[in-house]
Amino acid sequence: MKRIFDAQLIGPFAALVIVSLVVALTTERFLNPGNLSNLSLQVSIVALIAIGSTIVIFAAGIDLSSGSMVALLTMIFALMLKFVGVPLVLAVPLILVAGALLGLLIGVITAYGRIPSFITTLAALIAFRGLALTFNNGSPIFSLDPALEPLFYGKFVGIPLPFFYLVFFYGLAAFTMNFSKLGREIYAVGGNPAAAVLTGINVRKVQAITFVIAGFMTAVGAVLMSARLNSGSPNYGQTLELQAIAAAVVGGASLAGGRGNILATLMGAMTIVIVQNGLNLNAAPSSVQNIVLGLIILLAVGIDMWRTEISALVARVSGRKPDAEAAAGKKAG
Amino acid sequence: MNASAPLWEFVDISNAYPGVLANDSVCIKLLARSIHGLLGENGCGKSTMIKTLSGVKQPDSGQILKDGRPVQISDPQVARAMGIATVFQEFSIVPTLSVGENIFLGNMPRSSLGVVDWKRVHSDAAAVLAEMEVDISTEAITGQLSVGEQQLVEIAKAVAMRASMIVLDEPTAALGEGEIERLHQLLRTMRDKGTGILYVSHRLDEVERIVDEVTILRNGRVVRASGETEINVREIVTAMVGEDIGEHYPKERNAEDEVVLEARGIATNAGVNNVSFELRRGEVLGLGGVLGSGRTEIARALFGTDDLTAGRVVLNGRPVAFRGEMDAIRAGLALVPENRKFDGLFFNFRASGNITAASLGKLARLGLLDLKREERATQSLIDDLEISAQAEEKTVNFLSGGNQQKIVIARWLFSNAGILILDEPTQGIDIGAKIAVYNLINELTRDGRSIILISSDHDELLAMSDRIAVVQHGTIRRIANAAELDHDDLVRASASTGRNREEGEALA
Repeated sequence: MKRIFDAQLIGPFAALVIVSLVVALTTERFLNPGNLSNLSLQVSIVALIAIGSTIVIFAAGIDLSSGSMVALLTMIFALMLKFVGVPLVLAVPLILVAGALLGLLIGVITAYGRIPSFITTLAALIAFRGLALTFNNGSPIFSLDPALEPLFYGKFVGIPLPFFYLVFFYGLAAFTMNFSKLGREIYAVGGNPAAAVLTGINVRKVQAITFVIAGFMTAVGAVLMSARLNSGSPNYGQTLELQAIAAAVVGGASLAGGRGNILATLMGAMTIVIVQNGLNLNAAPSSVQNIVLGLIILLAVGIDMWRTEISALVARVSGRKPDAEAAAGKKAG
Repeated sequence: MNASAPLWEFVDISNAYPGVLANDSVCIKLLARSIHGLLGENGCGKSTMIKTLSGVKQPDSGQILKDGRPVQISDPQVARAMGIATVFQEFSIVPTLSVGENIFLGNMPRSSLGVVDWKRVHSDAAAVLAEMEVDISTEAITGQLSVGEQQLVEIAKAVAMRASMIVLDEPTAALGEGEIERLHQLLRTMRDKGTGILYVSHRLDEVERIVDEVTILRNGRVVRASGETEINVREIVTAMVGEDIGEHYPKERNAEDEVVLEARGIATNAGVNNVSFELRRGEVLGLGGVLGSGRTEIARALFGTDDLTAGRVVLNGRPVAFRGEMDAIRAGLALVPENRKFDGLFFNFRASGNITAASLGKLARLGLLDLKREERATQSLIDDLEISAQAEEKTVNFLSGGNQQKIVIARWLFSNAGILILDEPTQGIDIGAKIAVYNLINELTRDGRSIILISSDHDELLAMSDRIAVVQHGTIRRIANAAELDHDDLVRASASTGRNREEGEALA
């Protein structure tokens, strides 16, 4: 357990606590049970997709495709349920497989085609949205299945189901990253691909697998999205990929790869959603929300980059010697 | 010429890191027209001292005097403005730019319109190189030059800014014998023209040859400062390590008769040409030759990095055809690359992650890692190899070069690799760490593993190899027992290769 809950969680956790306190103190309704339950629903889709985005980032890649992939998958899901008549118990696993396969496609082109993931997933971002629009003349499909909402977006013993999904998938992801061979190989590939090759790690395969994981988690997010609104739409998931990446970054994942803690991404996602919630409750327009999201990302990366200066400042204030580790860390970074 | 007034004086410089006093009241006087050696083991505080005088780090206490007046070197720009140029071990050249651009990087000659004056960039750069008596085209792309030539470009940058003091951190770490001689000649010329030079090196043999004065650090303190011209290697080693080291090269002979690897007339497009040799169990086969002679390329051919265009590799009596590094590693080969910074280490991991990276399959059951076993194995290797105790507490970027190199080799000790190719394994690490690496080589061969040792340090190659293959132009000129060869055989082979190479370049 010491491995999973390490020092990398302290910063993101502190940020989460501070943001929660500020919002709780400035907003009356924040702590209402209704609002909190709504929060866990809001955070779930971003946070689940962010698992994949973060793992891709750990391997020094980037996934810009998840938002569009959500739109595409909700459309396929809706078509299957509404027009093809596939039963729900079959449609859900099929969508999860479809997500994994789309991830595999991106992963193979990226890793074996040696095209930077920024480009392959940017292409996917554009193409998937276009593909989603080719179905049903580009119109959303409503009223998919009455069982959808209670099954995936309902409550169990008074707790929203997405909360259980979060616990399950983050638990699985944390376990994989910290205790499995695959997790270690992902960190190795992100840390130093050249060294990974020389230690016999199948770098391309590992890179491709991270995109399969990302595709799968995006499909999980797509099912929840469809369940929430009982529909599929080519317009779903706009900027979701950016929120997921923001969650990873606010959680402290290094975009250079190799460093970060998956659980910190959950905290990052919660931080972002709580800020948005606070602005919502205070009736801030969505334009302000976007500006704030941008500033949060900037601040999160800034804190990481300015570690030396910050620790020197702390040292001057507290009268201690500056931290050599932070100084060396900056040099290495 | 006033030799007695120091150009720079560092008085009572102290630098502390948490738990370590890296520099403890260090005093160094640097004179113009003098080559000053700064020596010491890893962790003795040399690097911190270099950082201090190049403006990278501010001393916690102490005074810096330039021409007798106190100054503050607040950052590297200030250091350069004051005439201190530092050539770090990791070069700061931009490989994709031309030599001329690199020489004036950040300080390009401009025309009256404020646009870069390309004619002057190249003519001024050519003048600098001519002054140094170096024959490199200013139009050449720097990344395509040899390591030695890149270093000369790095020094040309210092000359171009008219530095009065040049600091060289391990300048010969990556150079062949011929290139070292050329560098030393250049440094003597520059000294005679009035430049002060601070020369940091672990290669004690050359320190004796080039240095006028020497300061030796141990545990952050000056243990010996000499203004003498008589510098004795043995005394230096003793002063550095703090004890009399009897055996510099603790060679064990573990070679058996059984042939484990055989190259039969192999060739690649990277310049390997008709190379044949046999490697026996427990043997250390040295590959001698200068940089660019094809030693690293032979290693790449064996390791499956470059495709064979002719010949075959026979492993334990069976012909093998590696399609890539993965095949080679699976078959029990290992390559410890020349550039451990870029190709060897995972800086995001602690010692354990680095040591087990090549053997994750050995640690995993059903895809899950046995972390307890990893911890135990790592700890015992850290103890055995006397790796810093901090290795498991911090990621490896915080460790010294010697510790890093031990960790890279420990990786293969932990793996089942039977054949290790060590490319410049002691480059840039101090004498204590070198001896540790030699002991590691012994341990590996005692264990029945075989080693191909590539080294530009001739003493090391002669002492640690059982047999040596002299490589020239991508092929093996001669294989002989190390005992039958001497320094001159290697130098002569290297020198003739060097000359031929230069002629080749002149023609091209």
